[in-house]
Amino acid sequence: MPIIEVNNINKDFMVAKRETGFLGSVRSLFKREFIKKEAVKDISFSIEKGEMVGYIGPNGAGKSTTIKMLTGILVPSSGTIKVNGIVPYEQRQKNASNIGVVFGQRTQLWWDLPTIESFELLKEIYQVSDARYKQNMEIYQEILGLDEFLNTPVRQLSLGQRMRADIAASLLHDPPILFLDEPTIGLDVVAKEKMRTFIQEINRERKVTVILTTHDMEDIEKLCNRMVLIDHGQKVYDGDISAVKERFGKIRTLVVDVENGEATFDIVGAEVVKREANRVWLQFNRDEISASELIGRITQTHSIKDLTVEEPAIESIISRIYQEGFEEKLVSV
Amino acid sequence: MFRMKLYWTFTKKAFLRSAVYRFDVLSRMGSNLIFLLMWGSIWTALYAGKESADGVTFQAMLTYIVVSQFLSGINGAGTPLWDMQEKVRTGDIALELMRPFDVPLRYLFADFGSVAFYFMFALLPVYILVFLFIDLTLPMSWETWVLFLITAFIGFLIRYCIEMSFSFLSFFLVETGGIVDIFYFAMSLLSGSVIPLWFFPDWLEKLAIYMPFQGIYYIPTSIFIGKITGVEIAFSIATQIFWLLVCYGILRFVWHKASQKVVVQGG
Repeated sequence: MPIIEVNNINKDFMVAKRETGFLGSVRSLFKREFIKKEAVKDISFSIEKGEMVGYIGPNGAGKSTTIKMLTGILVPSSGTIKVNGIVPYEQRQKNASNIGVVFGQRTQLWWDLPTIESFELLKEIYQVSDARYKQNMEIYQEILGLDEFLNTPVRQLSLGQRMRADIAASLLHDPPILFLDEPTIGLDVVAKEKMRTFIQEINRERKVTVILTTHDMEDIEKLCNRMVLIDHGQKVYDGDISAVKERFGKIRTLVVDVENGEATFDIVGAEVVKREANRVWLQFNRDEISASELIGRITQTHSIKDLTVEEPAIESIISRIYQEGFEEKLVSV
Repeated sequence: MFRMKLYWTFTKKAFLRSAVYRFDVLSRMGSNLIFLLMWGSIWTALYAGKESADGVTFQAMLTYIVVSQFLSGINGAGTPLWDMQEKVRTGDIALELMRPFDVPLRYLFADFGSVAFYFMFALLPVYILVFLFIDLTLPMSWETWVLFLITAFIGFLIRYCIEMSFSFLSFFLVETGGIVDIFYFAMSLLSGSVIPLWFFPDWLEKLAIYMPFQGIYYIPTSIFIGKITGVEIAFSIATQIFWLLVCYGILRFVWHKASQKVVVQGG
């Protein structure tokens, strides 16, 4: 049985229409017109226990709105949601004990108090037993290195430390489900890596179901097997990440170091996209010409000193889907 | 189920939090004293050497101002209106909706913590000195003390309900300057915090008597100086309890509407 079930949910907001100009503003003082904005349109998905799912889409696609509906802060306009057997917005507080939430953009810790005080407060809020609290704190201290800043007020923490504290705080009550809304935003490479390792570990060892929204495609590539892609409030893709790569990743790049960087290449199915000193980037479609074939053709006219074949990063795939739409790409590739 | 231990934790943490902002406590105490000095001087000038006015001696009047300034120190030590509005504006309050506790109660208990800190380390020592060095009247009987404490506490709760209701109005309004002005006007004038109700013109006194604000300063302070006595005290407490229930009802209603709006409209 899926741990999260979302069926045909919609969320509309009524937004006050702003009139322009002086007369318009006067008019809107007396009579306001509202326009309906559809933030989420007919989205359905189900997630099994222990899955790690990337929930991605461009800004304003409806990611946070969906997460807020799953946490119970927002009521869907229509459709049904079940999280661990509970309808979140009907039993908001009960749902709260089943989920952990991290919003990368804001903290749930008490700003002016030493970090440890926030943990103690959360222990009371979620009625975590002393033994469990102690055990969890030991584990998190070890993996996340909380020791170094437990007695520092939250406002003095670095962003990386704050995020580590925040994620530990969200897991203090052992929720079976974890929502991460941009957990690596603004972090440096090392901090990002630490964060990812930790998420992987709790998923593997505690079977915590993780839903992750992010703009960092490396997060998705390293953490998730499955991704749900939404755009303009609609689901455009739901499935394996490797399948997306398979579908859209036919364009590859061959990077060759040749003796003369000015050399011309006249090969069907491949074109030069970039040159830098003696290095040349050639883009080719795997269906039209294979890599070995291409290399063979180049060696006929040039001597190759070094070469690599670059697979497309998921990022460039996603950005193409954002720009061109999913359906069109399906046809054109 | 009421989880006392949880709310008590909020009280403890808020107490600790106040300890972090020692300068804030000092500066607040400073401004409280400046207001005390100001109103003390104004009333000294108004009495102009007269022994009593409207049946109230100069000494009792001065005591009234000192006690009401003390109470305003207590009432001002919680989460201020602007801070709550800021929490509404940034959406912090909306996030608290997904926590397993009651938001209005959580802030009330946190306020108990910050008030306790301010009371112990600023108000109490300073006002003991004020009473030692200025010739003021103290209640003779212990009953008066007890009644003063009870009415002051009810007054605190009334003020909390009103202030919180005003804060939650910012869920519905973009610009809240007007609301804040109305609140502070009612708080300073209609509550009798600086001018006792008996000096009001008749129509204004009637108006103020029928409003909840007098329960915050006027009733406890008047009991302290012995202006309200006997059966009048029972009547005053009944009025306070009536207003407390009404204001609590309003707070619950506004909070209910606000949280509904958040979940439907996204705040």
